[in-house]
Amino acid sequence: MDGDHRAFLEATLPYLDVVYQVARHAVAGGQEPEDLVQETYLRAYTAFGSYRGGDMRAWLAATCLNVARSDGRRRRRRPVELPAVALLDWLPGVRAVGGEGEADVADVVIAGLDAQAVSRCLALLPEPQRVCIVLMDVAGYTAREASEALGCPRGTVLARVHRGRRRLARLLAEAGVSHGWP
Amino acid sequence: MDGHDRLLGAFLAGELGPADTRRWDAHLLECEQCWRAVREDRAGRQAAHLLRQPAPPGLADRVVFAVEVAAAGITPGHQTRPRGRRRRWLAGAAAVAAGLAIALAVLLLPGGRAGMPAAVAAVARYAQAITPPAGQQGPGTGGAAPVEVGRPVTITAGGQQIVVRTWRLGHLEAVVAVSGRPFPMPPGARGMSGGGMAWSARLGKLGLYCLNGRTSELVAAPVPAAELPGLAARLPPA
Repeated sequence: MDGDHRAFLEATLPYLDVVYQVARHAVAGGQEPEDLVQETYLRAYTAFGSYRGGDMRAWLAATCLNVARSDGRRRRRRPVELPAVALLDWLPGVRAVGGEGEADVADVVIAGLDAQAVSRCLALLPEPQRVCIVLMDVAGYTAREASEALGCPRGTVLARVHRGRRRLARLLAEAGVSHGWP
Repeated sequence: MDGHDRLLGAFLAGELGPADTRRWDAHLLECEQCWRAVREDRAGRQAAHLLRQPAPPGLADRVVFAVEVAAAGITPGHQTRPRGRRRRWLAGAAAVAAGLAIALAVLLLPGGRAGMPAAVAAVARYAQAITPPAGQQGPGTGGAAPVEVGRPVTITAGGQQIVVRTWRLGHLEAVVAVSGRPFPMPPGARGMSGGGMAWSARLGKLGLYCLNGRTSELVAAPVPAAELPGLAARLPPA
């Protein structure tokens, strides 16, 4: 197996960017995404001998998520989840959304965003929705690849990503993020 | 609601057949709630696109380095350790500028010593990989002020997180590892008198000097271990 490391690197390194995207948003509190990427590759390398083909990107994403979960359990920490109130405290330009005549959520969100605010709001989503968004919208996985990585039906992935996007949009709208959108 | 979300999700992903797609198109013209859901979905997707970010420079080298090291199977005592632990000994290592060069150097090193604590072994390996042999280091440190070489590197070994920095003093390069946990004494190490729990050891041409305390520091350099306390005193505080 050790002699296969060059083949392993050749097969997996092209996906470093997408693994990094997954790691950035799957990482447990206190861990660096670069550490998670490295641990993902080390674990994937260990299992490479039993890899039977299939979608390499999906396999690496599944490995990354498993490593993140096991590391999170080991640390006995949950991902940092800011309460919405705390979020509103630091996001600029906060304004309430609700009641009659409220602004359309989509309009508010599309009006302007910045990546940091999006990242904070994404962290507030339930993990299944967050993971689906990270895989499909951030890392560029197809629904089929995401379903393979997560081991759940494609319809479930599509429903989760849809609910997650809506929730993300609402969180951003509630936070009144309204600048920086090109 | 779940079934509705699945259908809408499939519609938005373009995965419905032509007839179902036409039905949804017609439905969206009449249903304000679903039309709003579509707009929110699009807004959320566009927002998530903002999070795309390429992997940082050096990450590929770092991954290659870690896999090369794992492939070489040079973890001390790895034959008696579970694989998971074996793989972690250099986790976090090497945001190293010369990752590949260092990996090659590591691969050329002799095997590890049984019973060597993983944290100490990792620091020793790192030091052996990046510091030239003593014979190539020139006449010594002289009175040179320490200059940091490269950037700090984080290593996780034996579950212990260690920050490693490299200092150059004249022709000598020394590695200083700092951890919030004590560095265990390796076999053959000698306890030293004085404040704190200090020990020194020799690994081939590499001298090790450790001062355990609230923050523990392990200095590794290709000089006699007896010279390391003096050398450590010349380095900036951790």
